[in-house]
Amino acid sequence: MSAVAQVGGFFVREHLRARLTLALLVAIPVFFVLVFASVLGEFADALGGRLSGGGATSAISAGWAAAFLCGALAFFEVSSSRGADRRLAAAGLGAGRVALARIAAAIALAVVVSVVAFLTLWLRSGIAHPAHAAASIVAFALIYVGVGALVGALVTGPLEGSLLVVLIFSVDVFSGPSMTGSDGILAHGPTRDATKLLIAAGTGQSSAAGEWLAVAAAVTIALTVAFGAFWLAARSRSRS
Amino acid sequence: MCSGGDTGKAAAMTIETTAQAPRPEAPPEAPGRCVMRATGVRKGFGRGVWPWRRRVEVLTGADLHVCAGELVGLVGENGSGKSTLMQIIVGLLARDGGEIERPGQLGYCPQSPMVWEKLTVDEHFALFARAYGMDDEERDRAAGSLLSELQFERYRGYRIEALSGGTRQKLNLALALMHEPQLLLLDEPYSGFDWETYLRFWEMSERRRDAGMGILIVSHFLAERERLDRVYTLKDGRTSET
Repeated sequence: MSAVAQVGGFFVREHLRARLTLALLVAIPVFFVLVFASVLGEFADALGGRLSGGGATSAISAGWAAAFLCGALAFFEVSSSRGADRRLAAAGLGAGRVALARIAAAIALAVVVSVVAFLTLWLRSGIAHPAHAAASIVAFALIYVGVGALVGALVTGPLEGSLLVVLIFSVDVFSGPSMTGSDGILAHGPTRDATKLLIAAGTGQSSAAGEWLAVAAAVTIALTVAFGAFWLAARSRSRS
Repeated sequence: MCSGGDTGKAAAMTIETTAQAPRPEAPPEAPGRCVMRATGVRKGFGRGVWPWRRRVEVLTGADLHVCAGELVGLVGENGSGKSTLMQIIVGLLARDGGEIERPGQLGYCPQSPMVWEKLTVDEHFALFARAYGMDDEERDRAAGSLLSELQFERYRGYRIEALSGGTRQKLNLALALMHEPQLLLLDEPYSGFDWETYLRFWEMSERRRDAGMGILIVSHFLAERERLDRVYTLKDGRTSET
């Protein structure tokens, strides 16, 4: 087994051994899809957004649940393990391999979170385009791996950092194309294109190739940013 | 005892290197050979918020060296910069100036254990064995020997969050020692140790010193000076040998 796979496996274990994390992995998608979705639908109506009908609101809620969980997990991956990761990197593993192991762990956790969110959505309301919905939910999760890791690398305080993740998430949710009809700068949040895909999947419509490419680009950028953030947190700084 | 001025003896060292170091079975350094040298190290930190931000110079030209087969102490008051200097030598902290020559791989025991709360003692040995380039057999041998030497075998399956402060510190020390490095940097490694473990720690250090390991240890206690071959005092950002 390669060093990255083995170390990444330990990092996944580290998260899954936290009982509260495990409980939230189930509770947050259930809450978002079963409870939060109807509230979001009313908000969207009031704000002139594109959400129409239960299928779209349930679907988008599953995406946001995955995004919220992965953003928080990625933030705490960096924030709570910075010292130990840097020690491991300095011991000879190197910041690059530690960052790759962290990315591997974050992607594995994102897949787990996405599966829970997708199953909740599927059991709640059924999905018109299940494959499209699953891919979109994974995209939400991976985009927020980038957001959470970046905040973790730049903000050392756990309280300040987690508040910043929540702020970014809130702005992204409430100013995106699903919630508001405006096209201002705040409407261009990180999950803008993934939101369009997920709304389409929830309402049984297909999406254009350009929209898929835009989501793929957003995911690629997010994972690149996440790698940079994990590397930044783990690096041994030998020069000023 | 080494002279400290013989840079020709530093052939095994690199400047700023992070390259893979010798494997654990590599022969110990010949006694007297310099394994680490810090020259004119400077470091300052910004304090406060702009426009009241000011710069505090912690290290203003610290020099020290450690030779193979030496147990060297670094003492100083609280806040004098001992841990800062240690972290600069390890490479965890950037320096503002000066040179560091050290082996590509060393053992470092930080003042507070840098570990993962949800992982077990055995999993920590596995992670660091990977970092040190040890195979499974070498890892099992090193971990078994250190668990026995520091007497915490029964905790090997425990998560760190379930360990006492003293047992965490034993693991912290064991992780620095498991690859038997040429250079060992210990930042107050015995905080939380009971008296027996404290004495055992010094026996372990002296045994490794006698086998050719170069050891630099941050210490507070005057009573320990007799155990050390040389002692540096850090004051006003500079070191002096006492």
